[in-house]
Amino acid sequence: MRKPITPMKPRVSQYGVDPKYVTKRMAEYPEMTSVMLKDLFPDTPDVIYPSEKGISAVREAAEKALENVDMSMIKPGDSVNVCASHHGFTLLGGEPYAELLKTVRDVIAERTGTENIRLRAGVGLRFRETEEYIKSFGLDKHYKGKAKGVAPVDEGIPIETEIGTLYGIKAIYDADWIVHVHNSDVREVHFHRQVDRAVKPFGMSYARIETRSTYHQNLGPRGANFTARAIFASDFVQSKFAFTAFLEMSPVGVVSVDADNDLYALNDRLTVSGCKYYGKIMTLMGEIDECIVGLDFPCPVPYVFAAGVIYANFAGANVDLFDLDGSLPPYTWYTEAFYGKDGKPLVDNAPPVNPAIKMVVHNYAWGGYPSAFFSEHAPTIVVGREQADLLNRDPQNLDYMKHAVIADELDTAMKFAYEVSGTDKVIIFDGAVGGVNVSESLGKLLHEKAPAVSEKVDKELLPKWLRQRGIDPETIK
Amino acid sequence: MRIVTMLAEVDEQKCIGCKICQKVCPTLAIEIVNKVSKIDAEKCRGCGNCNQRCPEDAVSMVKRETPVKVFVDPETVDRKKIEEMCEKARMNPEQIVCYCTATRAEEVAAAIIKGADTPEKISLETGVRTGCKVECIQPVLRLLEAAGIQPERPDGYQWYGRTPTIWDIPEEVKHKYSKRGFYFDEDIKLLDEVAKIKKTGKEEQ
Repeated sequence: MRKPITPMKPRVSQYGVDPKYVTKRMAEYPEMTSVMLKDLFPDTPDVIYPSEKGISAVREAAEKALENVDMSMIKPGDSVNVCASHHGFTLLGGEPYAELLKTVRDVIAERTGTENIRLRAGVGLRFRETEEYIKSFGLDKHYKGKAKGVAPVDEGIPIETEIGTLYGIKAIYDADWIVHVHNSDVREVHFHRQVDRAVKPFGMSYARIETRSTYHQNLGPRGANFTARAIFASDFVQSKFAFTAFLEMSPVGVVSVDADNDLYALNDRLTVSGCKYYGKIMTLMGEIDECIVGLDFPCPVPYVFAAGVIYANFAGANVDLFDLDGSLPPYTWYTEAFYGKDGKPLVDNAPPVNPAIKMVVHNYAWGGYPSAFFSEHAPTIVVGREQADLLNRDPQNLDYMKHAVIADELDTAMKFAYEVSGTDKVIIFDGAVGGVNVSESLGKLLHEKAPAVSEKVDKELLPKWLRQRGIDPETIK
Repeated sequence: MRIVTMLAEVDEQKCIGCKICQKVCPTLAIEIVNKVSKIDAEKCRGCGNCNQRCPEDAVSMVKRETPVKVFVDPETVDRKKIEEMCEKARMNPEQIVCYCTATRAEEVAAAIIKGADTPEKISLETGVRTGCKVECIQPVLRLLEAAGIQPERPDGYQWYGRTPTIWDIPEEVKHKYSKRGFYFDEDIKLLDEVAKIKKTGKEEQ
């Protein structure tokens, strides 16, 4: 039995409880083991981070990728906004993304001669989250005091697009040039469906509330991410866009850094790698027949990670989220909206939340994201009254505790979960890097199922996913 | 429905009167008096926008002594009017429009029928736009439009305007991107189906 992988540490944040209240991690139980992705899928890519080289590998890869990028449009004295998003800081502790942001600044300054380079870091629904990251990773200092978090309620600007007027955050676009720095972690497949993944921040973390509401309320579950393309394709954004740089992610770490003046070209490459790198583990998660889920990571409930996959995607792992033939995932805001007053879906084709989830032990996860859907649809035990109080104070989670029970400590919660669920299979969403912390019983099941899943993805699913996105599967052979 | 448990409180020593809190308040509960922010406790819905955007960290969220319930009961207005408004806005009356408060389209429609003619008044009376403060502005504007109301924008950043829906996307745009994974017509079919379903569901107990 492999030892569990060390989980990601709790983080000091206004959106979570003080780390002193996280007294025990789920991976500490003797029945827990770990499964490495490379052992499940031998074709798992090699990574540059984490590696023996440390964080310098990211800087080196970024500098190399940026060598092929044209920056001649940026003149000395021009203002440049390096646009970032909170997501990147949740990957591998955040350091690789912070290093990419630092490198991009350094290379722009060196190549163009301009010093007027600002960091504009967008957020999800926790408006001060990137302010916290800017401080903790020293980005304010690196950007010479020109770093700030921006939020979707900040002053906006209208952007004329081919579908009508949408709205961006003014501070994102208040420079001569913008540089889009992001990552390819597939993350919210339930929302963007791996369609234009690389473009998404233009409709989300760089966008005003009107645009984000368009995404989640006006366009439908498979058209939603078009808001991002509409904004990016606008004359206004095109007139300011200089280039893009991405951490190319896989479930086991940073594969490389990709950069381009053509975001669509980079998007096509990352569409392929996203389907390829994440498709197998997500499909394998769909093979889990029953389990207790542990939430144990410094992020809101849907965004805690296991094997590089977020819990929101595991909640939908009973269907193929990459398959665009399916309209509604088990969890997405459109699905949530379509549950009627009787607690049943308004439409027949709404799949239920993954029935393999028998119990959820919420040992450590943040507020700051509407998460009541999860406690309503899966029996949930929250560890510690401090966490329950935090959720009850959170305007986005006023109903979360209506559907959950509280255990004073993790031991009580686990005992209850084992007894009531009747399963000894446990999967822990604790950000373990390179693999996943699970119970021995679940580890065995994952090993048994992985070869058949691998073959099915290679031969059947991946070609289908790519065809659905306008990419010829032959081109990747 | 929204149970308001929190209240914004200003530290007058820290407040610089920059007006940002006023500009982001979805219920217009903030006024600047003598260069200091003043919160109207009656109007505050505890959303925390002021707390989250104050550049001086001058606003705290404190627990209310007595929680306040805001709710417009759809049963108290003509059902037919609610259904007509929702149909025009292409929504099902039972559809959830605010994911934080689980407010349904019918409650927003009922508030409009009862006289709430701006997003701010709707937020005040139903609690929508006071959770995440991000995702539910469009259904509110669509329902107001369906009622024939063009609300005036407040003097701030609360909202800018209604944006396109999937039904507004031009055919040539749909065609241009049809091979890129955007399933516009299929999603229109789904959303139309949802809007048309008749339910007389009772709230789950």
